[in-house]
Amino acid sequence: MHIPENYLAPATCGVMGAAMVPVWVHAVKKVGKELPKEKMPLLGVGAAFSFLAMMFNVPLVGGTTGHAVGGTLIALLFGPNAACIAVSIALLIQAVLFGDGGILAFGANCFNMAFILPFAGYYTYRLIVKLASKNQPAKSGIHYVAAAIGSYVGINLAAFFTAVEFGLQPLLFHDASGNALYCPYDLSVAIPSMMIPHLVVAGVVELVFTVVVYAFIRKVAPDMIYENILAQTEQEPKKHIPVFALIAVLIAATPLGLLATGTAWGEWGADEIAAVENAGKVLGYTPSGLANGWELNVLMPDYAVSGMNEIPAYILSAILGVALLVIIFKLISLPMKGRR
Amino acid sequence: MLPNWLIESETYAPPKDGGAFVVKTMKTIGMVLARLKVQRGHEKRHAIPAVIKFFLLVALVLLTSVTQNRLILLAMLALVQAYLAFWPAKDLASILKPALFASLLSVLIFAPAMIMHPQGIYNNLIVIAKVFVSVEMVNIFNHTTQWNHITTALRKLHIPSIFIFTLDITLKYIVLLGTVINDLLTSLHLRSVGKNHRKYQSVGGVMGVTFLRSVEMSQQMYEAMCCRGFTDDYKGL
Repeated sequence: MHIPENYLAPATCGVMGAAMVPVWVHAVKKVGKELPKEKMPLLGVGAAFSFLAMMFNVPLVGGTTGHAVGGTLIALLFGPNAACIAVSIALLIQAVLFGDGGILAFGANCFNMAFILPFAGYYTYRLIVKLASKNQPAKSGIHYVAAAIGSYVGINLAAFFTAVEFGLQPLLFHDASGNALYCPYDLSVAIPSMMIPHLVVAGVVELVFTVVVYAFIRKVAPDMIYENILAQTEQEPKKHIPVFALIAVLIAATPLGLLATGTAWGEWGADEIAAVENAGKVLGYTPSGLANGWELNVLMPDYAVSGMNEIPAYILSAILGVALLVIIFKLISLPMKGRR
Repeated sequence: MLPNWLIESETYAPPKDGGAFVVKTMKTIGMVLARLKVQRGHEKRHAIPAVIKFFLLVALVLLTSVTQNRLILLAMLALVQAYLAFWPAKDLASILKPALFASLLSVLIFAPAMIMHPQGIYNNLIVIAKVFVSVEMVNIFNHTTQWNHITTALRKLHIPSIFIFTLDITLKYIVLLGTVINDLLTSLHLRSVGKNHRKYQSVGGVMGVTFLRSVEMSQQMYEAMCCRGFTDDYKGL
């Protein structure tokens, strides 16, 4: 779902980036109020979960790949505003260090994965819990059902917005001969190509990832759950060893994400796109915006080191990403004032 | 009966003092020096011995700088960040600030090359990453090791004792003299209300007093060493 560089027109990127600014400002303000200083490093752990979720590529129908995002999970753990910030920073690290998602398209990627996804997921969850607990106190099971539905709705809505952003490009930006300048597929192609795999596979992966991790954390570290933070229930500060152990296991398992060999829909390189087949027709040309586009040089493109064994590079990239996220959120917590 | 002049309310506002930067700068120097005394590193009681740490540091910095293998560089980056991720937040800033500053400096140095020769940007990025991780490692060593342990480590590496002696004394006296400067500046600050026209003379005074104090201290130390049997020979150190 990471929109690469040059697939969106600079104008679109500008609009999406501008749309994110008030969201970020609001989120930062809210998080400063809601989350106590001690929770900030844990938010980094949440961002690390999201970063790892995005490294697990699964093969999707139609030969492409996709991944979970984990935005709803962070929203359940720390609230949707904190999730917005956490996923944004995870996306920034992916874009700057690993070249996953474009720098210019950063605003658009944040809009889809850091804004639409966690907010839609979280409020769906809230709505279901509220409806279910109208007459009688909610059973614990309802939280899991709500989390499952919320995460499924969240990722699919995000995929839908991504598809719309892709699909608008050929309608808005094309040259005199009708060849698209940026993403060449219009809405009628982009929406089904994005939505069918996400509805069928990636949504389910996100659902499973969210529910499994959420259930685990509810059990071993209930003080990490947003509702308990809001309720300000006094809890013994716990050591979160099981949570860190889970992260270690996820890091060790990331090479599984390499099993899916295809390229994600809408993330082909400029050399690949001319040969991409759609409904039996190859595209046959490289959109000029892609061929002559600007691209940032990054240290580890696609989480790998060229000419090296992919598996250790992938694991090391995962460690680097997770560690950086934890460090960044620890640094963010420094200037914050403690609750009392 | 109070005299009239005592009943009048005063409206004296001291004129703003220009050029406060002299005192301020010197004060900062004094503070930094005095901070060496209370080293804020979090060396643990059962830490790795400083000698081994020093060897490890030299080996890792060398490895990072000479390696052509990008996987090793990635591993260094990942492991150092992973280690730092377990540190308390307040110590992280003192490691990352110098490292980021050094990387920024290398970015500036590489900027013309990057603009004129964009094909080489990837290699430049690798050098910048190497700078970042090396500075981080040196800072980690510095932060987790006390000064006296560093000098002990150097001694175990059979570095001539006169060097270690000089280094050790220098470090100790930097701290002592830093405290002296700090005290002098504090007293100067307390005595000068409003505009002080003779500040630059006072600066000279501060430097002069510090120098005299240092001469006095070295004389005292030499005498103290003689009293304890020092025979102008550093072998036994």
